Amino acid sequence: MPECLLMAHLVAGYPDMERSVAVAKALARGGADYLEVQFPFSDPTADGPTIERACQAALANGFKVDGGFAMVRRLAAETGKPVFIMTYGSIVFARGAAEFARLAAEAGATGLVVPDLPPDYDENLFAAGAEFGLAVTPVIAPETTPARLGCIGSLRPEYIYTALRLGVTGSETSLDDDSIRYLDSVSRLGAKTIAGFGVRSRGQMEALAGHAHAAAVGSHFLDALAAAGPDFEEALAAAAGALKGNGTRQAITAPHPRRRRGIQARTAWPRGRRF
Amino acid sequence: MRFDYFGEYGGRYVGETLRPALDRFAAEFVEAWADPEFHARLATIRKTWIGRPTPLFFAENATKALGGAKVYVKMEGLAHTGAHKINNAVGQVLLARRMGKTAVIAETGAGQHGLAVAAAAAKLGLRCRVYMGSVDAARQRPNVFAMEMMGAEVTPVESGARTLKDAINAALREWSATFPDTHYVIGSALGPSPFPEVARRFQAVVGEETIRQMAETGDAIDVMVACVGGGSNAIGFFSPRLDSDSPRLVGVEAGGRGMGPGENAVRMSGGASRVGIAHGYKSRFLMDGDGQVLGSHSISAGLDYPGIGPQLASLGESGRIEFESASDDEALEALTFFARHEGVMFALESAHAGAAAMRIARGMSPGRTVVVNMSGRGDKDLFITAKALGRERWIEYLKSEADNA
Repeated sequence: MPECLLMAHLVAGYPDMERSVAVAKALARGGADYLEVQFPFSDPTADGPTIERACQAALANGFKVDGGFAMVRRLAAETGKPVFIMTYGSIVFARGAAEFARLAAEAGATGLVVPDLPPDYDENLFAAGAEFGLAVTPVIAPETTPARLGCIGSLRPEYIYTALRLGVTGSETSLDDDSIRYLDSVSRLGAKTIAGFGVRSRGQMEALAGHAHAAAVGSHFLDALAAAGPDFEEALAAAAGALKGNGTRQAITAPHPRRRRGIQARTAWPRGRRF
Repeated sequence: MRFDYFGEYGGRYVGETLRPALDRFAAEFVEAWADPEFHARLATIRKTWIGRPTPLFFAENATKALGGAKVYVKMEGLAHTGAHKINNAVGQVLLARRMGKTAVIAETGAGQHGLAVAAAAAKLGLRCRVYMGSVDAARQRPNVFAMEMMGAEVTPVESGARTLKDAINAALREWSATFPDTHYVIGSALGPSPFPEVARRFQAVVGEETIRQMAETGDAIDVMVACVGGGSNAIGFFSPRLDSDSPRLVGVEAGGRGMGPGENAVRMSGGASRVGIAHGYKSRFLMDGDGQVLGSHSISAGLDYPGIGPQLASLGESGRIEFESASDDEALEALTFFARHEGVMFALESAHAGAAAMRIARGMSPGRTVVVNMSGRGDKDLFITAKALGRERWIEYLKSEADNA
């Protein structure tokens, strides 16, 4: 049975720089296969409230992009895990897309996700990624049309970040057939798919196995961090371990309102990120 | 069609969740614009419900007091709901209905755009939800009441600085989930394409009327002056003359309390002004070196925004539009000046244009003309202006009202 790998997301500088490094290391220790480090932006339109609040707090604590690159350098060297940077177009553009890609690659990042720099408005970021050996990763959504999917696939990205909608009932989670068909259609483009958006349980990880290369988990860890006390490193390692199937299922069964995948059901925001 | 870029500015910098909504909206707008029936509907509602054409008058007393060029005032604030905002709101709600949408959402700062969309949605039979930063909702209570009276649901936004820019973020997020049955009516000539171009087209009526009305006076136009927040009144007012060399076009930004960071909303000059990407478009923003959007300040909520519409930014750099600023105090002074001399009360936003027009007219010879766009009327600002111009008397009044309630 193929496994769905775990991409653990965290916000650089949240709650502060030092503790966000500790969070990343704990997630890596708990079994995360990839780390996704979000560089906070003041106006994060693709994120839900949990991640937005963490970004605001990190900025209030003085997060700087240079500090973010230093953090990536440390994590790549000290955890041995591939590190992705996630941020917004403004942050990338402020340095210049090529320069940002160069700095990211130099810091040891494996990939870069910038949801609001899509392939035809990318400020040449995809070309810069190719030049510096950085996997610039497009983000797609279930509403993405076949024509756009073709345009994105023609870039031959190594990874594609796929925003999911998952039907969630309390602690019991299942992917519906539409989601599986959608994921499989993305996989046929030849890239490794990273499924994101509302993944919070081992059950979801198991359902994704064979259909996605990895699952990105963010808000779930932020919630675990908020619930934990001074021993947050243990709690996060356990949360990552639980998603990987290495621990008990406690701490991953927070009740969650039922939502259908259909567009009409989306009047309320999920707690996680949105792409 | 100029849907995408204005020089280096503009674009459609959004994630894929929003992409289908914008692609479809752009296509349907092109279709509607080519449809005579759509224009006929728009013309009827403009005339019978918005109250177009709005008047233009010669400010004779003001001209005498200033001792320079003749000052004309375009009374756009006499449009229904009190400002030019209604032109874009009605146009886009008509489009929404044409596209088969059943609901519209909008962001609002002071509440003028929210009010305009709420009114248009009530009139045209669509549901309406307005996102408003909780700070703005608290300081603009009267508009919240009015929007709710028109059946709109006002959703306070608690994230970020809890003001206009956060309301835009919230509306963009909501739209990415609801676009199959919902249209997002952005309130200014900004955001991802095609919004800046759509807003300009619907606001161009202000400039077209002005040109016609000025022709009737027999005076040539030497200078046109408009305030610039996001910039929809300015781009609409200037629209018929963007491609010619004259007249001089002057955009007026909010100079706020001073030129320090966070004290103003001057995007076209100054140390915090940078080219950046936010809210789906590339333009000039108040940003730090990392690309983080900075706070802005203006006594007028409508100018209190860190970005500027991409076409205005581009025309500012090319030199076609000159940019100046007016401070909070200068705006209040202009408000008083036009009220005393002409019996009209400018909205605080438009009073910035009034202040610049006074300055410009003083420096010009008699016989030349300056036309200023009073984009909004000042009734909505009573809670702010009364406090700024006579604090004690105002507080006394509020206390007596509270005691009587």
